[in-house]
Amino acid sequence: MAAKEGMLVDQLAKVAQGDRAAFAGLYQQTSRAVYGQCMQLLRDNDEANDVLQETYIQVWHHAGEYHADRGSVLTWMMSICRYRGLDALRRRRTDVAFDTVAQNHACEKPGPMQNAGDMVDRQRLSDCLRDLDERYRNSIEMAYFRGFTHQELAVAMGQPLGTTKSWVRRGLNVLRQCLGS
Amino acid sequence: MKPDNPERNHALAAEYVLGTLHGAARKRFERWMMLSPKLRRQVWLWERRLQPFNESAPSMQPPADAWDALERRLFSAPETAAEPRAAAWWQSALPWRWTTGIAVAGLMALLIWTPVPPKAPESGLVGVVQGTQAQPLWVLNASRGDHSLTLRSLPPTLPASDDQDYELWLLPESGVPISLSVLPTEGAELRITLSHEQVKQLLQSRSLAISLEPHGGSPTGQPTGPVVYQTQLVDL
Repeated sequence: MAAKEGMLVDQLAKVAQGDRAAFAGLYQQTSRAVYGQCMQLLRDNDEANDVLQETYIQVWHHAGEYHADRGSVLTWMMSICRYRGLDALRRRRTDVAFDTVAQNHACEKPGPMQNAGDMVDRQRLSDCLRDLDERYRNSIEMAYFRGFTHQELAVAMGQPLGTTKSWVRRGLNVLRQCLGS
Repeated sequence: MKPDNPERNHALAAEYVLGTLHGAARKRFERWMMLSPKLRRQVWLWERRLQPFNESAPSMQPPADAWDALERRLFSAPETAAEPRAAAWWQSALPWRWTTGIAVAGLMALLIWTPVPPKAPESGLVGVVQGTQAQPLWVLNASRGDHSLTLRSLPPTLPASDDQDYELWLLPESGVPISLSVLPTEGAELRITLSHEQVKQLLQSRSLAISLEPHGGSPTGQPTGPVVYQTQLVDL
């Protein structure tokens, strides 16, 4: 799987030099994972399609800015996708389907792009989340998977705004201690 | 004011990645990130920490048109990645002037040159006429061997109104269009035998166009209606 990451890095390096064939190859290798994430966050085909394209447009223009501190190539791309997805959510959001928030827990099925190192990271996050206060964990997962703002979390969880803000903050703090650097 | 308290940096970076930092606060934080390498590293660290969340999303096949749309947004016209050199002839294709209708053509149809199939059954030229939704409407094959031009209509057949027909034109380098045929509204395939002179001109210009004409074809022998499609043949 390290070979696969090496291949993605090679492709990205070529993309940074304007190689369109490498860009097509990168899209082929990664678009299923990226689109899956777009759909998870946006739950709307058209918007997910648009964010997918915006993500790859950004990848095309900024390929040269990738470096290993950003994580794997896919981590970097997923981050771009998530930020574009959050922008799209904020633009459109007037009403939130709060009835489905209970389904937001991370599913246990491993994704296809996962490698051994990712498995370790995933296990660590999973262990840390398990030890987290349930209220903290729920707020973090809802914010991550649904892109909820503090205000939306407050409505979804039936709590005052200050309370959910503090759950998120404390939860992240405990998570940081647990995950370390 | 920049956040210079390490604990506050951690908290803001985490909420930035989580997405709960939003609106003006998010914009402000993005500006701080531009100024502070330390803050950027905090953000990257949180991106890596929370990456396992991303992997829990099931992979999904993007819509089939996503790649074409992406290429259009990035490069104006799609290119087959496996054929990067195709850009050269596409970009160098001389714009063909046909004052009436070229604007309409731009609006109505997006013409995309076909990728060259890797294994060609015979020597010849090929082109595809595509509609605005990038759906193939006609496939054109020109055979060097028997001077024939075959035009295959792909379903659904293009709707021309009752009192109008599509007419196929050869666009020689001289610039004066030569009528080849009125396109039948029924039947999947049209085969035209070209004269020596037409073959010579087609091999030089490789350009064909389709205009919308009164029923039965142009009354003047020259296009009178808008050019709705234009295509360029490429070597098989």
